[in-house]
Parts: sequence; structure tokens; C-alpha cells
Amino acid sequence: MGQETRGMILQWSVSGSDHYDSTKGDDMNLYDLRDEFNKSGVMMCFNGPFCHSIIEEIGKAMRNHLAADNIAQASLMEVFAVYIELAQNVRNYLTLREITRPDVASSIITIGRRGEGYVVSSGNAVLNADVEMLCSRIDEVNAMTRDEIKIQYRKQMRCKVKPAALGAGLGFLDIAKRSTEKMTYSVRDLDTASKFFTLSAYI
Amino acid sequence: MEPIYIKATISSPEINFEPDNNVLRITGESYPENSFDFYAPVISWLKTSLQELPELTLDIAVTYMNSSSTKCTFDIMDILEDAHWRGVKTSIIWRYDRENERSYEMAEDFREEVLFPFEIEALDT
Repeated sequence: MGQETRGMILQWSVSGSDHYDSTKGDDMNLYDLRDEFNKSGVMMCFNGPFCHSIIEEIGKAMRNHLAADNIAQASLMEVFAVYIELAQNVRNYLTLREITRPDVASSIITIGRRGEGYVVSSGNAVLNADVEMLCSRIDEVNAMTRDEIKIQYRKQMRCKVKPAALGAGLGFLDIAKRSTEKMTYSVRDLDTASKFFTLSAYI
Repeated sequence: MEPIYIKATISSPEINFEPDNNVLRITGESYPENSFDFYAPVISWLKTSLQELPELTLDIAVTYMNSSSTKCTFDIMDILEDAHWRGVKTSIIWRYDRENERSYEMAEDFREEVLFPFEIEALDT
């Protein structure tokens, strides 16, 4: 795993037994970070370059955490499914675009409470040239009704997957199927070649 | 005919063919790093085996699959459907998680896609 596991996992539980694990220096002020997370309802966060085994581990931790939160099995699996789609989407995109430089490839994923439900967010670098297509794809899915999503899903399932593709083009539709609200996103400048893209889904 | 067996991991299901009753079982959860790579040997095994076997039952007990695994499952069902029209007795038993209504919906969605026998049963947990 080596370098790919660098990053940090921060986990909060309702009981307040904080767990922190980081390879960062000790002089960092985690209080503000913690405060920010608590205010915005974030229960779990991962920040760093992530690989498949990390996606698995966070998923496992998240399921344990949510199970302890007395959430129904069906809702737990919906939150988990949205998390998997977002995380694998980021991972596949960075792989496809060969974005490997740690400072750029470093991505963030958060799972938090929001009102009666949950919110899962991902943040990652997106090349300038890809931003428009990504935004219009999300807008397109957001504009669909439940029935349209279902029809598009079936249509997309019948499409041949391009050689070397990492996904089936179903991710956003899958998220939309499970969401209680439309996805939201924001774009910020990262460097001259890329933007930082934040995407949230609500369950 | 070659047997097929793939051990389960946390994110990929067990694949096991039982030659005594011609049942191919897919059991576990499915969100591998690369679903297409994971299912490629299963798809190629099915294509070959369905040339030789008189019948095949696909017994699926996958409680969660990510979107690309859904696509691969659809492709597998498509191969079974082709074989069905060539005269191979194909069928599916789809086991859903009774605590998760979405899992039953998914089974129903898949059933709508095929014209050969497709049973939906609750998974015993």
C-alpha cells in the first residue's frame, strides 16, 4: 500500500470517543477542523490519495458506524451505495486521467448527517477540460424524473462499454435513484490545469 | 468442461459452479476495483459452457452491487437469454435481502429484462 495509504482518517462517534490517526505533524490545530466537522454534521472523513483497499476499509467502518446509529438496514445500504459510487468515481477518474501526483490526486470524502438524512460528499481534482462535461452530466441527471432515471438506467445498461473503460456510465444515475434530493456541486480553482470539484448526494 | 471457482473478498462475490446440478452461484457483495476485469472470466466461462451444457441455473445472492457490477450482471443475463433461445434450459434464482426493499426492487427490475424463468426468493439470513 505504501504511499497510497498516507492521509488521515478522522472518525467521530456520538459518545464523543474521538479517534485520530495521522502522519501529519503535531503542530496542526485539529480543534478547528473538528469544530468545523461537528458544525456541518460530518461523521467520518477521509482526506488523502485513496486506493481500492482504503475505499473498502472506509466503507466497512462506515457501515459499523451507521449500524450503531440505529439506522434501518435499507437506508444504511443506500448511504453505503452512494458512498461507493462517489468514491469509485473519483478513483476511476484519477486513474483514467493518470492524475497521480500526491498533492493533486489527494481527494476527500465525507459522510455526515443532515436533518433526518445523510449526505455523502466527494472532492477531487478535475482537469479544466473535463469540468464542463462533468457539470452538464450532473445537470442532465438532476433534471430527470424518477421514471426517466429508470428508463435511462435500463438504456445505459444495454450500451456496450468502451474498451478500457472503468465504469459503465451508470454511476450518477445510480446515485440519483437512491437520492432523496438533487445532487449539488461546486467548482474552485486548484491550479492552472485543474479545478477542485465537490459533489454531494443526499440520502 | 472447465470448472470455475473464484474466492470471495470483501468487495467481490464468490463464484462457484456445481457440476452435479448445473448451478452457477454468485454469492456475496460486488463492488470490485474493476468490475469488468472481475467478471471477464465468468463471462467467458459462461459463453463456452453454454455451448456444452443442456441447462444452467444462475443462483444469485448478491446483497449489494455497485453500478458497474450491475452492468456486468446484465451482460451475464444477456448471455443466458441468448442460450435460452438456442434451446439451453436457462433459469435464474435471485435472492434478495428481505430487510432491504431496494434489493427486491432490483430483482424485479432484472426480471423485467429477461424472458426465461426468473424466480425471486428471500435470502435466509
